[in-house]
Amino acid sequence: MSIFTPTNQIRLTNVAVVRARRAGKRFEIACYRNKVMGWRSGSEKDIEEVLQTHTVFVNVSKGQVAKKEDLVKAFGTDDQTEICKTILSKGELQVSDKERHTQLEQMFRDIATIVAEKCVNPETKRPYTVILIERAMKDIHYSVKPSKSTKQQALEVIRQLKENMKIERAHMRLRLVLPQKEGKKLKEKLKPLIKVVESEDFHDQFEIVCLIDPGCFREIDELIRCETKGKGTLEVVSLKDVEEGDEKFE
Amino acid sequence: MVLASVGKTVQLQKKTENIRNICILAHVDHGKTTLADCLISSNGIISSRLAGKLRYLDSRADEQIRGITMKSSAISLHFEKGDQEYLINLIDSPGHVDFSSEVSTAVRLCDGCIIVVDAVEGVCPQTQAVLRQAWLENIRPVLVINKIDRLIVELKFSPQEAYSHLKNILEQVNAVTGALFTSKVLEERAEKETGTQIISDSVPGDQVYDWSAGLEDTDDSHLYFSPDQGNVVFASAIDGWGFGIEPFAKLYSQKIGIKPAVLLKTLWGDYYLNTKAKKIMKGDQSKGKKPLFVQLVLDNIWSLYEAVMKRDKDKIDKIITSLELKIGAREARHVDPRVHLNAICSQWLPISEAVLSMVCNKLPSPLDITAERVEKLMSVGARTFDSLPPETQDLKNAFMKCSSEETAPVIVFVSKMFAVDSKALPHNKPSLHRQGQLPEYCTWKHSLKRRPLTQEEIAQRRELARQRHAEKLAAIQSQELPEKALCGNAPETTGKTGETKGDEQQLTSQIEVMTLKTVKQEADNKESFIAFARVFSGVVRKGQKIFVLGPKYDPSESLHKLPLGCSAEADLPSVPYMACCILENLYLLMGRELKDLEEVPSGNVLGIGGLHEFVLKSATLSTSPACPPFTPLNFEATPIVRVAIEPKHPSEMPQLVRGMKLLNQADPCVQVLIQETGEHVLVTAGEVHLQRCLDDLKERFAKIQISVSEPIIPFRETITRPPKVDMVNEEIGKQQKVAVIHQTKEDQNKIPEGVQVDSDGLITISTPNKYATLSVRAMPLPEEATRLLEENSDLIRTMDQFNASLNEDKKTHEINQKTLDKIQEFKQKMEQNLQGRKWRNAVDQIWSFGPRKCGPNILLHRFEGYKKSVWQCLDKTTKEVSKYRDFDNSIVSGFQLATLSGPMCEEPLMGVCFIVEKWDISKVEEIMSTKRQQSEECDATEWKQDEDEATCLSRSHITECSSEDKEFKGSSQGSPKSSEKSSKRKGEALLADCYGPFSGQLIATMKEACRYALQAKPQRLMAAMYTCEIMATAEVLGRVYAVLSKREGRVLQEEMKEGTDVFIIKAVLPVAESFGFADEIRKRTSGLASPQLVFSHWEIIPSDPFWVPTTEEEYLHFGEKADSENQARKYMNAVRKRKGLYVDEKIVEHAEKQRTLSRNK
Repeated sequence: MSIFTPTNQIRLTNVAVVRARRAGKRFEIACYRNKVMGWRSGSEKDIEEVLQTHTVFVNVSKGQVAKKEDLVKAFGTDDQTEICKTILSKGELQVSDKERHTQLEQMFRDIATIVAEKCVNPETKRPYTVILIERAMKDIHYSVKPSKSTKQQALEVIRQLKENMKIERAHMRLRLVLPQKEGKKLKEKLKPLIKVVESEDFHDQFEIVCLIDPGCFREIDELIRCETKGKGTLEVVSLKDVEEGDEKFE
Repeated sequence: MVLASVGKTVQLQKKTENIRNICILAHVDHGKTTLADCLISSNGIISSRLAGKLRYLDSRADEQIRGITMKSSAISLHFEKGDQEYLINLIDSPGHVDFSSEVSTAVRLCDGCIIVVDAVEGVCPQTQAVLRQAWLENIRPVLVINKIDRLIVELKFSPQEAYSHLKNILEQVNAVTGALFTSKVLEERAEKETGTQIISDSVPGDQVYDWSAGLEDTDDSHLYFSPDQGNVVFASAIDGWGFGIEPFAKLYSQKIGIKPAVLLKTLWGDYYLNTKAKKIMKGDQSKGKKPLFVQLVLDNIWSLYEAVMKRDKDKIDKIITSLELKIGAREARHVDPRVHLNAICSQWLPISEAVLSMVCNKLPSPLDITAERVEKLMSVGARTFDSLPPETQDLKNAFMKCSSEETAPVIVFVSKMFAVDSKALPHNKPSLHRQGQLPEYCTWKHSLKRRPLTQEEIAQRRELARQRHAEKLAAIQSQELPEKALCGNAPETTGKTGETKGDEQQLTSQIEVMTLKTVKQEADNKESFIAFARVFSGVVRKGQKIFVLGPKYDPSESLHKLPLGCSAEADLPSVPYMACCILENLYLLMGRELKDLEEVPSGNVLGIGGLHEFVLKSATLSTSPACPPFTPLNFEATPIVRVAIEPKHPSEMPQLVRGMKLLNQADPCVQVLIQETGEHVLVTAGEVHLQRCLDDLKERFAKIQISVSEPIIPFRETITRPPKVDMVNEEIGKQQKVAVIHQTKEDQNKIPEGVQVDSDGLITISTPNKYATLSVRAMPLPEEATRLLEENSDLIRTMDQFNASLNEDKKTHEINQKTLDKIQEFKQKMEQNLQGRKWRNAVDQIWSFGPRKCGPNILLHRFEGYKKSVWQCLDKTTKEVSKYRDFDNSIVSGFQLATLSGPMCEEPLMGVCFIVEKWDISKVEEIMSTKRQQSEECDATEWKQDEDEATCLSRSHITECSSEDKEFKGSSQGSPKSSEKSSKRKGEALLADCYGPFSGQLIATMKEACRYALQAKPQRLMAAMYTCEIMATAEVLGRVYAVLSKREGRVLQEEMKEGTDVFIIKAVLPVAESFGFADEIRKRTSGLASPQLVFSHWEIIPSDPFWVPTTEEEYLHFGEKADSENQARKYMNAVRKRKGLYVDEKIVEHAEKQRTLSRNK
């Protein structure tokens, strides 16, 4: 047994341990903090910037190196670098502070961007800016949940924001063409789903141009498909009903 | 010292020939407001001791704090000269560049101006600017050389040095005037030449070229400033003295015994006094003698300063007695010698006397308005005066006469609107009744109009007041009621019967006070707008009905619409840009005070209340519809600094919008706009102006917390041809590529599996259910074609609408022949622009434009069996039935979505052409036909799709979509049975409704295909560009270039303006780099260059945002990580970060260089 002296000790700083279980054994590698996520996303391409050392450990903090036969058994190779790369991409790790912070911030922005894209100020029919939405989100103390998708969270945010400010989802403009027969009947059913009817036209066919809440689209779509047995058609005229162009105050 | 009452002013207003409308103009900090203070103190409005310290006309808090004037404000002064009494309407203007618009508004209302120049600093950029402005408006200037005391006290000049310095300054000023004059003469000559060109061309032969530029023929001596002309005053406003040459000439003519006329001519110039011969001789310098001016004038002032500063008591006393002055003991004993000095000088050579008498002598009265100026004012834009209708031309006489007769047409020009706190309005002041001049009934009328009390309440109060009054009466019985003074100018109060009446009136006035108090509380938060105006002809009365003519009003158009000789009283048909309004209130402007007026005769400056609904920023008011609107104001600085404004609390949006509207009205030089992105943008003339606007918004107009940020900068995405040379200018392909670390890994990331890409960028992709396959290719459009598409976006939109109606088989709303011709022309032009093998038949294959169906990108179809095109409206074919028809819309919508947000940073595309080369939907048809035979009940499909179609379409990142794709694949491949089942259902759905989920899939697939097709080509960002026009003098040219190149600007041309030393530089500058540009360029050039920015076009940024060094040379040049800045990448990452998209950046650049501190150490 070798003597454990300070001279042959290599002290690692800024360590982030990535663990993987293979063949009933636990393997660890020593990486730098805040670098592993970068490697996984592809923004960091230099392995030297990620790995502290190309050694596979059983326990990093105790400095116990993995045995060669264990490695061969678990990974089918004894190339330490290759094994390190597999552990890097597949292993689990504690996400470090900065990584978590950037991830949350990015999601927060993403949510705000989605909200800003989907919503308008109902008074002016103009969208809100992302910065304003971000501030409003901070005002209502919205906390990002990293496990939910940003789209889901954006819908949640819209609901919460509605209590504090004048915000609404931008309406979708649809054109519905219904056969004369079912038209009347269907209209009654569609009524609660439609926000504004812009024009109605009874000729040989019944045609409506209307604004709806995008959340109701599926319902309307289904309704028309089932009720008219495919004879009615539905066309999206515009996805978002917003004011276009710049406006100068005069 | 004269104490002018309002009554006196009203009297004087009627004597037009004794009115002088003047403004004070100068560079910032040359002492305009101090001078104004001195003039005001001569009227006893402020104490003479405070003159120069108070800055009476700087009534805003921030003006006082910053020490600069920010708005022009007017005051009426009274001046007695000999037996004549003058009314001087003085307008003080700001000197800072940012507020030069305020100077324009002031200059327009005046007939003359006082140019103030600092004796130390001399002619500065703004001095030149204001001289130019005065010149352009045809108003006559006089000069005040201020701060002469600084030459004595600070610079310690000898009188001789000071004289040459002053001479120098005078020459500089005259040089500027001369340059303005020559440039005008040259311009006129150029105009004349173009006019005579045709004639001279027809008679060739012995022509002698005329070398003279016409300068010799034109007399310009009257333009220049010279003390012997009497249009120059030397002054020190802070010490309260100033003089022209005249008083000295008079003084010494007695002492020396030389004729005053001779002395007047020789006091300034190279003359000296030969004391022995008692003669004035020429050529002082050559003989080493003191010039006359030094000997007789400057020496005296210098010795006075010396005596007072050194506290030489005897000498001071001697001077005082010789000048016959009386100095108060307090001033004489004061610790600060300046106070003493001020006391002596302001008595000896009072500045107000010198300046105002010069103004009265040298500047014209409103009657002397020149015909040239009238014509200039009346002819808008390029129209010449002669082309105006005869009725309008007749009005010129009214201008020239400037008469205040009843019959004269009223013409008033409003140069700006300014906001006043409602509290400050005279009729809202409770102390009103003590101001004797105000007629009772007018206030009564106001209280009637605004009365918030009901009749009963008033009756109650009256009852109460009567009781109280009765008690009072009992107490003082026979004595005359002191309260009667309150209603002094009510005639009924006299006599016995008058007593009760008087009581009554006194009661009502009490009630008025009460009601006014409530009104006041209500009005506390309100801003009233007052128009800053001048009467050019006729008399304006309170309550008069008058036409308001907007800047775009055209008299020739409206004249035949209106009955002849109609007035504003009658009911008239509506005419564009014309409105009728009642002049609610007229005010005398007294700095921060306003005084009510009943009527204002011609030639006066006044304030008009109650116009805020009719006038935005400036307007012309007239009783005659023939009156043309005045030419728009010449603004030296255009708004250039853009910021985005948002309320701190999102719920306060409405207040912000209202506040911005008010601000827009109150400031002549601000622009306010809402952009398509929903941003509220404020455009101001400079940083100081911006600060003032923000303060105004926060404290006066919106009264909310706001946050200010850099405006969002738009970008466009496009593709280019693959480059032939690499970043170190080596030909591509010859070098051996060095294996880039993980380069391959990155490439794989970009395009997921399941998408086939061939070598020249053709993308083949199938819908998730494998029923349809699309092949799409992206190509860059030629630049001209893109421009053509951009210009014709409106035309394309109408085309699209027309096509839609054709397809619907409905009553086609006809388009007129003109539009059809335009479309035809547009088509031809497109064909011209799209030539070559690649573009064969391209124009006929155009399927759609995008984004929003009218953008600068096109979609082509190049597969068999499809005939539809956007040119349908030309040949008027109605819809044809094809197998593709049902899904046509999905492909187009997919294309629209793809062009709306590109892969680089989700910005719209521009100049990209997508070509659909293959579209295979045979499988769908098969299924449809087989399913048609079966007649199963259609059960509800549960095709798994993202929460709703719209959200899935409107937004998806690459990563998201690829995962979606996989998801779909997983479901279709992983369990064949279920996929079969679902395909069955799918078929049902297809049969039932072609716009069902399958169309949604098609949209998503098309969008993806377009995205990948883009990514297969070299992508580039496009930046919005400003054209930037900079006026700069020769000496700062280098610095202008430095600032431009630092901000990625490119100079297009540079030329010298004829007759001046001013260069005009034209450059282009990316919008992204323009934030703070104006400020920087002004700082670097000390204000000698003034830029103007206008949006011009989109330009491709040449660098590749995804570029990494690959060849050996590039490695050598840029290093492994390409650390040198990549402009395109910088922009792209900034946008992605703002939008919360994934940014390819490392959280920590160097792993070893992180802080290693742990928490417990």
